[in-house]
Amino acid sequence: MVSHTAANPAHSIDEHVGHHAHHELPENVEPKVVLNELVATTSAGSTTFKRIAWVLGILSVAGIAGFVGKFIADGGEQTQWGYVAAILAFLYSAMCGAPLVAVAPVLAKANWSRPLTRIAAICSFASVICTIVMIPLMLHLPQLVTQGARRRSIWFEGNDFSPHIWSMVAMLTLILAGLALFYSAAIPDFAAMRDHATGWRQRLGARMARGWIGTSVQWRTTRMRIGMAGTLYFFTFVFVHFVISTDYGMSMVPGWRDAIFPMYHAISSIQAGLAVTVLAIWFARRYLKLEKFLHMDAFWSLSRLMFAFTLLWGYFFISAFIVFWYGRSGSDKMWIDLLIRGPYIWAFLAGAFFIWFSPWWWLIWNAVRRSFNGPAVGSVLILIGLLLDRVRLYVAAWSVDPERIHERFLTVIPETVWPDLWDVLIGIGAVASAVLLVILMTRIVPILSVWDVQQFNLLSKPVDYMRTRVSIIAKPD
Amino acid sequence: MQQRRTLDQIHTNRVLLNGQLDTPKWWAPTVWVLGIIVVAGFVVIGIMVNKGLGVTGLSRPVYWGLFITTFVFWVGISHAGIMISAILRLSQAEWRRPVTRAAELLTVFSLLTALMFPLMHAGRPWRIIYFILPYDFARGIFPNVRSPLIWDPVAISTYLTGSTLFLYVALLPDLGNLRDRTTGWQKAMYTVLALGWRGNPRQWKLQVVGGILLSALMLPIFVSVHSIVSWDFAVTHAVEGWHSTIFAPYFVIGAVHSGVSAVVTMMALMRWLWKWDDFIRPEHFDALARLLIVVATGWLAFTFLELIFAVYGLDAPELALRELQIFQWPWNILFVTFVITGYIIPVGMWLQKRVRSNIALMFWSSLFVNIGMWLERFLIIVPGLARKSPFVYTWEAYRPSGVEWFILFWSLAWVTFLMLLFARFFPLVPLFEQKESQTFGDSIKIGRTTVPAIVREAD
Repeated sequence: MVSHTAANPAHSIDEHVGHHAHHELPENVEPKVVLNELVATTSAGSTTFKRIAWVLGILSVAGIAGFVGKFIADGGEQTQWGYVAAILAFLYSAMCGAPLVAVAPVLAKANWSRPLTRIAAICSFASVICTIVMIPLMLHLPQLVTQGARRRSIWFEGNDFSPHIWSMVAMLTLILAGLALFYSAAIPDFAAMRDHATGWRQRLGARMARGWIGTSVQWRTTRMRIGMAGTLYFFTFVFVHFVISTDYGMSMVPGWRDAIFPMYHAISSIQAGLAVTVLAIWFARRYLKLEKFLHMDAFWSLSRLMFAFTLLWGYFFISAFIVFWYGRSGSDKMWIDLLIRGPYIWAFLAGAFFIWFSPWWWLIWNAVRRSFNGPAVGSVLILIGLLLDRVRLYVAAWSVDPERIHERFLTVIPETVWPDLWDVLIGIGAVASAVLLVILMTRIVPILSVWDVQQFNLLSKPVDYMRTRVSIIAKPD
Repeated sequence: MQQRRTLDQIHTNRVLLNGQLDTPKWWAPTVWVLGIIVVAGFVVIGIMVNKGLGVTGLSRPVYWGLFITTFVFWVGISHAGIMISAILRLSQAEWRRPVTRAAELLTVFSLLTALMFPLMHAGRPWRIIYFILPYDFARGIFPNVRSPLIWDPVAISTYLTGSTLFLYVALLPDLGNLRDRTTGWQKAMYTVLALGWRGNPRQWKLQVVGGILLSALMLPIFVSVHSIVSWDFAVTHAVEGWHSTIFAPYFVIGAVHSGVSAVVTMMALMRWLWKWDDFIRPEHFDALARLLIVVATGWLAFTFLELIFAVYGLDAPELALRELQIFQWPWNILFVTFVITGYIIPVGMWLQKRVRSNIALMFWSSLFVNIGMWLERFLIIVPGLARKSPFVYTWEAYRPSGVEWFILFWSLAWVTFLMLLFARFFPLVPLFEQKESQTFGDSIKIGRTTVPAIVREAD
């Protein structure tokens, strides 16, 4: 066993760094360079940033106009709100799945994920937009007791408004958990902003750093907080999937009883969360010039995970489909008629193509996974597929006539509901406002976590090893 | 992983080959006792085949009882190998190294055992041949290829073939090692089995690539096997409690829970029996326990979903079944035992660091898991059939007979017997993996601390 002493130049493995790399390995960056360049990202490209923010702001306002228009046009018509439900499910699945990338690989001590934990955690702010989109949907969600009888739901004998109350409570808890996850990991960087930024950013950093100076106790507390906030976020994330998928989807359709559905929902959300993270680091690398910090390793590892979750999507779908296909009971056939071969067959075929088939055959190639653009293309495919998948599920569920809610299973399959102008505006506005929130956050704290990048460099050393080049990766307890 | 030790290759060879080159004293009597049980088991099975299934407790309406439960149990245990060996190999988890061989072996022997249960359950096992050689197409007597009951043997035999190949490829370097250290008929046997292994760069490259390819190929088979077993039940609409969409992943994650726990049991035994304290270390148990906490909690979530969506539909027969399964004697006591032993006790223990690195406690907690997981399968299969339903007029409760209990006990002895026989001729801990872990083990000095590290290749 050889001990590599980073501090001793005589034995430093950094001697080897200058050699021609046999394989592309992340090279270490000087701590000062990391600090200066990442702090500078908060004020980089001000004019372009302002333009983008204005455009997104205008689109967000268009979304609000869409809500107003929708209320005026279809206010009392529950069946017309399916696209809004689909947008909620899409936005929640894509954006709120991303912070798991900031939690799971770190718990598994995966060094490659350190540089991208911040950008993934920031995505949790989209839960604020999800909450806003949820409010009008709650107003259209039927009570548990309708037409004098209790409809099927996961709340059984609960209060008539249990779905309304608990979905909001769950979403608010998720916002808090996301904030806790983001803030607990951002404190050291706020301190860096306090010490190295200027103007309002420095003042904000000083306030938010809460006296952080990096003592051993502070670091220990920070790690503990990240672990706790991450665990809380994960469990809340799964619970919100459970609530949204059942209350805003399954329970709207009489006879739809599908135990795997919440997990299917969560799995596709993690798949999309990975896709969002890949796209975020792709943009950061390309337009903020962060090549030094965002290495191939991160893209490669994320795309492997995306590939695995793409296959899992197929597995979870077929697990449900085969049971309904073979069951052949009335409710089984209804599920297939409504959600597969009925009015939304176009969404099913296109969705399955984009979320499963095409990323499968795209990401299966190592050459694609080991590139910067390949995983980004795969991510776009997955997000298109996710949107179509959510349209298939939620528009179909909301299109069911509320008068039929007490039937044993749905006997009349409703016609296809197409989106109107208001749905399109709401969709664009919701996505734009989520992106706007995320990019605004990158103005107050570096888009990549400074201390995580420093730690990445400390724990990973590229060295020559016999006739090849390898990384030595430290695994602290 | 702070407790890593530096072990030289001579010491590694000497200690890990002690089962083959210097058979321990306890080995022969243990194998004799197990052998007697195994022979007795075959005699009982022979009597059952001769007399018919009347000697079991199976009767209307419960036709699937202890045999099918035990079949599902052993298929579940078989998931240990690929979970530990293939998934951890692909994810480059360093701590997998001493565990892989035992896990792969458990896969092969538990699959062999699992396959015997449907044969016994068939009553007249020779008729299974009609699955393979349909003899009368004119009267429609041929297997329905659309049935999961046909997919089952296909998937399991594919899995068995793949797992055996996987085990064998990983065994080649150790066979070469044994060939060079034995004489007489043993040398001849290892020479044939080692396939000319010399350990040159080309052979190593092929061995590594073969292992990775087999890992990737085995993964879909691994998932499909228990999914198909679950569909034996889930596609059946007629039995309450079975027709659930969650069964496939629920069975798979349950299988991983029980399989990995069985590996923990086995590792503890290996450490005690062969005195491999330097190789099977507390940190390996710690890592497995952490993995098991995640797996068990995932499994619990699936259990919760399975139960909540069973009653979600508010259908009277389904509600009646769940009432029977959870609240009525004797099922209620089995249900409580299943939850306590399958999750509450073991995970409660594993959450404490001192338990995770205490081998005796890990041994007992892993045994608890498999008691719970066996009960889980029993509670899935039997109550759905036993519940009173229209047009069934036999209300005799299912009581497994002594024959069934003995055959269940026999299966445990049979797997242990096979493992011990294997251990007499082949190393249970892969030598080359141990040596590789020594080579890849490193450390980095960060400030005043030396942190354990590992060497990673670029691709």
